[in-house]
Amino acid sequence: MIKLTIDGVTVEVEEGTTVLAAAEKAGIEIPNLCFMKELSPYGACGICVVEVEKCPKLLRACATKATDGMVVTTNGERAMRARKLAMELLMGDHDGDCLGPCKLNCPAHTDCQKYVKEISEGRFADAVATIKETFPLPAAIGRVCPHPCEKHCRRGLVESPISIAHLKYFAADQVRADGNEHPVPVSSPTGKKVGIVGGGPAGLSAAFKLAQYGHAVTVYDQMPEMGGMLRYGIPEYRLPKSILKCETDAIAALGVKFVNNFKIGRDAQLEELRGQFDALIVANGAWKSTPMRVKGEDLQGVWGGIDFLRAVVTGQSVEIGNRVAIVGGGNTAMDACRTAVRCGAKEVYVVYRRTRKEMPAEDIEIAEAEEEGVVFKFLCTPDEILGRDGHVVGAKLQVMELGEPDERGRRKPVPVPGKFETIELDTMIIAVGQRNDPEGFELMPKTEKGTIAADPKNFETSLPGVFACGDTVNRGAGIAIAAIAQANEAALAVNAFLAGGRYEPVEPVVSERNLTADNFKDEPRIPRVKMPQRSAEERRHDFKEVNLGLTAEAAMAEAKRCLKCGCHDYADCKLIRYANLLRTDTQRLRGDFHTGYVEADLVAIERNQRKCITCNQCVRVCEQIAKKGLLGLVGRGFKTVIKPEFNDPSAIAGCRDCHLCVDNCPTGALRLLDK
Amino acid sequence: MRIVIGEGSCGIAAGAKKLHSALSQLGAEVGITGCIGMCYLEPIIDLYEGQDLKARLVRVQDKDAQRIVDAAKSGDLSGVEDLRISSDDESFLSKQTRIALRHCGIIDPESIDSYRAADGYKAIAKVRESMTPEEVIEEIKISGLAGRGGAGFPTWFKWNAARNSKGDEKYLICNADEGDPGAFMDRAVIESDPHSLLEGMLIAAYAIGAKRAFVYVRAEYPLAIIRLEKAIADATAAGIMGDCEIRIKAGAGAFVCGEETALIESLEGNRGMPRLKPPFPAEKGYIQKPSNINNVETFANVAWIILNGGKAFAAMGTENSKGTKVFALTGKIRRGGLVEIPMGLTLRDVIFDIGGGIRDGKKFKAVQMGGPSGGCIPESLLDTRIDYKELGATGAIMGSGGMVVMDDSTCMVNMARFFLDFTAKESCGKCVHCRIGTKRLHETLVRITEGKGKEGDVELLEELCRGIKDGALCGLGQTAPNPVLTTIRYFRDEYDAHIRQQQCPAKECVALRRFTIDPVKCRGCTMCARNCPVGAITGTVKNPHVIDQTKCIKCGACKATCKFGAIND
Repeated sequence: MIKLTIDGVTVEVEEGTTVLAAAEKAGIEIPNLCFMKELSPYGACGICVVEVEKCPKLLRACATKATDGMVVTTNGERAMRARKLAMELLMGDHDGDCLGPCKLNCPAHTDCQKYVKEISEGRFADAVATIKETFPLPAAIGRVCPHPCEKHCRRGLVESPISIAHLKYFAADQVRADGNEHPVPVSSPTGKKVGIVGGGPAGLSAAFKLAQYGHAVTVYDQMPEMGGMLRYGIPEYRLPKSILKCETDAIAALGVKFVNNFKIGRDAQLEELRGQFDALIVANGAWKSTPMRVKGEDLQGVWGGIDFLRAVVTGQSVEIGNRVAIVGGGNTAMDACRTAVRCGAKEVYVVYRRTRKEMPAEDIEIAEAEEEGVVFKFLCTPDEILGRDGHVVGAKLQVMELGEPDERGRRKPVPVPGKFETIELDTMIIAVGQRNDPEGFELMPKTEKGTIAADPKNFETSLPGVFACGDTVNRGAGIAIAAIAQANEAALAVNAFLAGGRYEPVEPVVSERNLTADNFKDEPRIPRVKMPQRSAEERRHDFKEVNLGLTAEAAMAEAKRCLKCGCHDYADCKLIRYANLLRTDTQRLRGDFHTGYVEADLVAIERNQRKCITCNQCVRVCEQIAKKGLLGLVGRGFKTVIKPEFNDPSAIAGCRDCHLCVDNCPTGALRLLDK
Repeated sequence: MRIVIGEGSCGIAAGAKKLHSALSQLGAEVGITGCIGMCYLEPIIDLYEGQDLKARLVRVQDKDAQRIVDAAKSGDLSGVEDLRISSDDESFLSKQTRIALRHCGIIDPESIDSYRAADGYKAIAKVRESMTPEEVIEEIKISGLAGRGGAGFPTWFKWNAARNSKGDEKYLICNADEGDPGAFMDRAVIESDPHSLLEGMLIAAYAIGAKRAFVYVRAEYPLAIIRLEKAIADATAAGIMGDCEIRIKAGAGAFVCGEETALIESLEGNRGMPRLKPPFPAEKGYIQKPSNINNVETFANVAWIILNGGKAFAAMGTENSKGTKVFALTGKIRRGGLVEIPMGLTLRDVIFDIGGGIRDGKKFKAVQMGGPSGGCIPESLLDTRIDYKELGATGAIMGSGGMVVMDDSTCMVNMARFFLDFTAKESCGKCVHCRIGTKRLHETLVRITEGKGKEGDVELLEELCRGIKDGALCGLGQTAPNPVLTTIRYFRDEYDAHIRQQQCPAKECVALRRFTIDPVKCRGCTMCARNCPVGAITGTVKNPHVIDQTKCIKCGACKATCKFGAIND
């Protein structure tokens, strides 16, 4: 036995032991990518380099035998520098997507690729379970989400993106109809109590997560029903309340307690709630319409966008008359104009200060509004709302033109001097934005915008044990899935807080491919499924859902269009694990990279040169363990690639399907194909 | 008089074979010899009276054959006076001290008798008759001989390690995989004096106890292989080989196979990729048996040392570096060729005294020592002595003997790019730092030479270089950054000019050149327009012409044809 010191830890090992194995024994992990104890040491990756006292060179731990009295440092500056460089060099030549762009670009990182695959295989309950790994409202979010996933879907470079949102709510509807939803896994009770203020997408998602973690959760909401803006801001024709109710009920079924008609500042003070709970999440949303600050805004018949929508949902008598103008170009403006149509207005205008191209609303929403007879008045903005006897009768519109682009590249509208237009109106709805209501939350520090200030990563506020997320914090109102993403992080933070720790998330390092339409020029074109809809003529008279939903066949066919961008090996990939461990900048040393793509024709193993890191593990297991030697290195320098031995495709014929090569690939370069 | 023609590869390339047959057709008896070393004067014919060299005729052409034959027959040299080497050129040889090259250009490389006549195979006889292996190793130790392949490791130490290594089956390997661009020392030795290599190897085999030996020689050296094969056959027939068998293995052209463990892999029939060290070859080498590897030039010194004594060898050179060293002097030098000098001379001695300085009246800029593993040494360091330690301190290395001389028309960034192109392509592809790192170095250098460099590129290069030196598995990768590091160290201003001003001070980087016509000097002769291969120049007769920069491919044809110096770049 010999004794050596590794990072200050003394360890005793048998003679002949490598430094790598000795470190393992001492509980110290030395990263390595080409080492396997069943194989002779190879020393290619250069990741396992360590410093040994009195040795002028860095040594490879995988190949260096421990000697008595050896003093090894595994994480010294020099070794770390060489290791980091090796990782940067490897990642710069590793052209693969760890995650599909869909998942990567979903604010909540919902595993779209996975549930789309499950849907393609008809495994709808599995798909819903996958979605619920991220959030509890697939039917609702599938209907309302502006789906950033689809904007980034690579299929969009072929012809059009996968209809991810529609697939999501299809699966939820199908499973609800079939009654075969998998039970949601819940940890055993912790005895901790969490209060959540606000029952919208953020509050409900946080409640769902925290309930899963085993905490006792109570959600307070000022409205009679849960759902927040999903219920009171999204019109019925887009999201039927009955469907939302099913999903909120499912959350309650996990043991989450709902308390409605409860408003902080009115029914209890924030401090009182703090006293009752071990932790608190404030997710009270942004429920105040942003005023325009134009003359006449206080006239009767002038509504805020969300106030109008809420009034309609709650069944208040809303007299809007025949001529209605909605100011704004976002999704709330679209919801408001289409709701106005359904309330019986004869002429509905949307007044927007830029042009259609700059409208933030979804294209489909704009198109559907047009179909329903909404008239768009671009490049104008209210200068004054005209009234008679305290009631709106019209508006004086300032005509605009597009000027210089702003910092986001959108051209700024500027008034055309002296050019105005007047329209006659019975109702004016101002849907130019919404903000949070600070009433009841005076104790909480605010941002310049008046939103609650929360840590953008773990959503702590300056009040210990109080977290805040969703539309009420920081940058204010956004899309539902972004609020959900924050809620998930806040839930993790609360969970850590309740365990006496602090949640400090680190942005994961991932490998991403940079592709253009050119990369897919040979991909067969398959048209995107068309969502069946009720005709505009029919739907403009009622609030029944516009979309009719996909059939199972259509959904499965649509899901099969998926290009499966994300790597099959992401969960087990050693390369990306080290890239994270060493915080590798994957792009810094990007240059020319391997573009070859090999699909073995004789065996069902795909060899992907773009992902291959040339560690030679597959070659060596085939030679030394399988005793076949069917693979070999071909070419020299940067062009070295792994191919059938001697670059002879027939060499692979000796393969006996042991797939040791696939099993031992440290990254996702090898894959067993479905037979 | 005897006519002897230099038929090394360089002589043959210059026309020696044709000249040989022209002479033969005239009925002359023509002997051959190997490389005389003065490549720039080939083909060379020596006229001997017995063993005395009477005349050296240089740059001989076929049409000179008759008068050479006449002169040889008559002994009257007046007819070939104009062909005789000048005294200036003679100084190329007279300032050298030749040990490894002692027979080169003198004996007939294809004749074992010729070698024997020059004391050949007396050393191995002496060793076998009167010395123990330990005594041989001791003599080599006294000589201070160090590995001439580049690393300069003491030869006796390696022999001793192999001798003391456990096992009856031991192997001796000669590394003749000479791959540095511009290096041809080993080729010249094998082509010109193959028996001295064999003799050196036989002595080493005796010392370490090896019964089998290999010469790993690159296949691009066909003449060397032919002459070595003949030498082995002749020596075997003459019973000189004793119980040692020497085989030739032709390398397939991978530069990395000059690295000893990669060479062994290749010898075993595997892909030439370096092994992890330890174990060192002395312990586990060829087929895992104790093996000793030396370079050609190292072996070529051995017989001399045995015959003349280690002390005589050690008397030459410096404290750290004993004996002589062979250099292949190439580049923008007036007298390029093979040079063997005692250690301790300065670079200036070699380049200016022996090499005659820079060609075409240009200015010396730098000398690249040690090929792709070495570095560029600037004029300010020309008084550095030829010594392992002193050269190492400059950032360059002694190397195997490549000495590429550059003048002020050479861009140092482009020079670094050239070498990195070489190493990036020749990397075996095994370790990450070398495979991808040298590629990234090369890409960055290409970017800079194309005028697309950016602030921070030099720092990036330095960072990559440091990391590659630390992380690469073998000597190829560990030394590959040297050309970059030394050019940054001594010629940083050139990097900055490329990056910041998009200018190449040496005007070598094509992408950074910009040709314009000076309207005052231009006479409108239309020569440039007629010679422009892409029709980028327009103008009417007797009026100043103009170059369309969008069409110009920067070939420089206009500048070359302009008689009025009107074209600037």
